[in-house]
Amino acid sequence: MSDVLRVSRLSARRGGREILRDVAFTVREDEILGVIGPNGAGKTTLFECVAGVLPRTSGTIDGAPLFYVPDGIRPWPDQTVRWTLALNARMFATQVEPSLLDALDLTRLLDQITASLSKGEAKRLGIALGLLVPRAVIFLDEPFDGLDFRQTRHAIDVLRNAKRTLVLSIHQLSDAVRVCDRFLLLDNGRVAGEGTLEELGGNLEEFFLA
Amino acid sequence: MRKDLAELFTSRAFWLLLLFVGLLTGQSFISAVDAYAEASGIGGGAAALAQGLSPLDGILVPTAGAYDLAIMLLFPFVAIRLIASEKSSGAWKLMLQWPVKMRDHLLSKFVALLVAWLIALVPFAIAIALWLSYGGHLDARETLNLLFGYTLRYVLTASVAVAAAALMPGAANAAVVVLGLTIGTWALDFLAAGRGGFVQKLASFTPAATVRMFERGLLRLDAVLILLLLSLLAFAIAGIALDPLRKRISVSIAILAVAIALATQVRTSFDVSENRRNSFPAADERVLASIREPLTITVFLAAEDPRMNDYENNVLLKLRRAMPRLHVRYPYSGQSALFENDDRYGEIHYRIGAKTAVNRSTTEEIVLETIDTLAGVERRPLPAAESSEYPGYPLAKHPAGAAWIFYLVWPVVVITAWRLRTRRTG
Repeated sequence: MSDVLRVSRLSARRGGREILRDVAFTVREDEILGVIGPNGAGKTTLFECVAGVLPRTSGTIDGAPLFYVPDGIRPWPDQTVRWTLALNARMFATQVEPSLLDALDLTRLLDQITASLSKGEAKRLGIALGLLVPRAVIFLDEPFDGLDFRQTRHAIDVLRNAKRTLVLSIHQLSDAVRVCDRFLLLDNGRVAGEGTLEELGGNLEEFFLA
Repeated sequence: MRKDLAELFTSRAFWLLLLFVGLLTGQSFISAVDAYAEASGIGGGAAALAQGLSPLDGILVPTAGAYDLAIMLLFPFVAIRLIASEKSSGAWKLMLQWPVKMRDHLLSKFVALLVAWLIALVPFAIAIALWLSYGGHLDARETLNLLFGYTLRYVLTASVAVAAAALMPGAANAAVVVLGLTIGTWALDFLAAGRGGFVQKLASFTPAATVRMFERGLLRLDAVLILLLLSLLAFAIAGIALDPLRKRISVSIAILAVAIALATQVRTSFDVSENRRNSFPAADERVLASIREPLTITVFLAAEDPRMNDYENNVLLKLRRAMPRLHVRYPYSGQSALFENDDRYGEIHYRIGAKTAVNRSTTEEIVLETIDTLAGVERRPLPAAESSEYPGYPLAKHPAGAAWIFYLVWPVVVITAWRLRTRRTG
């Protein structure tokens, strides 16, 4: 698999505090890369810097165009799910595939306004907003946060069947192991490791507790 | 652009604004027509001097006053919501990744806000139609000039609200900033009256001061340019604040700041009032324009003195338009001289070259005679002949049907449209 995205020596500060320091990693074509780390490790800042919605103090990002879906968003809360999906699709000159909506159980919610969605429903809307964008790499921040066990399993199947290059930020190690091909371990704004589960020693929990 | 229009029409703030604008406009219009009818002798009493009955002063300005209130206190919330909602809901982070330039994002919001203004002007259009249906007179140039002035004021307020929403975290903080700025311009307006110099110059460009010019039928090019440039500056600031990768002061802001400074030096203005209230009679203006030497006027009046207000609005405003080389000094600038024991208080000193004259009159005719004498130019015929050309437009009619339209039909239409819109999106 060839690299589709290469991030080198990326550093970022927020509120005078250094959040990321010399972070470097690559994303390979058609893989699902999990960015794993405890709360405050810098996962969201990393995603936002790579997507260009937050400034970085240094570093380079080379490769294919990407799209990033932030965690906890409820975009255009007074509009319907149908309107929101159609808008994002129109901006990228694409269409919303009914199969994607069915897979994420969004079809029955199309005429609901996004403000009325539950946390899990809003999360599934976020996944759909990301997957409909025809960009080479899709970054999803905490895609399973707020989903119950059954929904998480379902969302994992959707992501695996999408056959897309994905980068997921996940704090639940059990979810990460189920869905990701490789892992980027982030701790206190630095890369603590990168590789497959085997390459990282087989137990991510021990890695962070060590 | 469709997105921002859709956001506008789902905004409760917008529908509430439409509701209140209609009620306020109706109340202002009905009161104005009643007062105008009384002045025209509807109750059987003596009519006011017909020449004094101008629809601009009697109907248009009081009716448009409803929009003054709406622009200051209601419209900013609609503009703030267009930005703040997208920031707080996370939509803005998605939009930053769209293949759309920041300029186009902001242009779309500007167009949506302009549409909001045009829809909000419907009650004003209804008021004008009612007035014409009563047989009332309107001068097209005066009316359009007034609408233009209010539109400029609205554009500036909306732009400042957009900039505040872009800069501040949360809609409430942005609202405080916009209202704070509005109060600040009021304070500047109040403090600068009759003080001269930079402060008075600055205060002449506050939104309230510029609207007053439009309300008296004056179209000042410097005010138009400055309001437009300030609006553009506010949008440029919003663009920088909303773009996470462009946090530095850009060249465009520097260029706009220079353009604003240059615009303050523009002196072109047009008197579009039907009764030419901002101009001396044409013969006088020709004589004043022929005076080559600079005229210096020193006004020994305090800002609070009513004579100062008369002199400023009825004489100096016209002189500034007619004589480019006019310098006015205010010795009591920055102090209340009402209780000072100064023998010169109340005097107005005129100087052209080495010649000086002193008098206490604030009336146009005396001032013009004084200047003629100092300049050694030929006396002009009395201006009364020309000013009497304005016939005045008395109209003793009650505002029939207006209360039904503004207090019943308009709210029903707005609430119905609001509910239909909500049903479509809900």
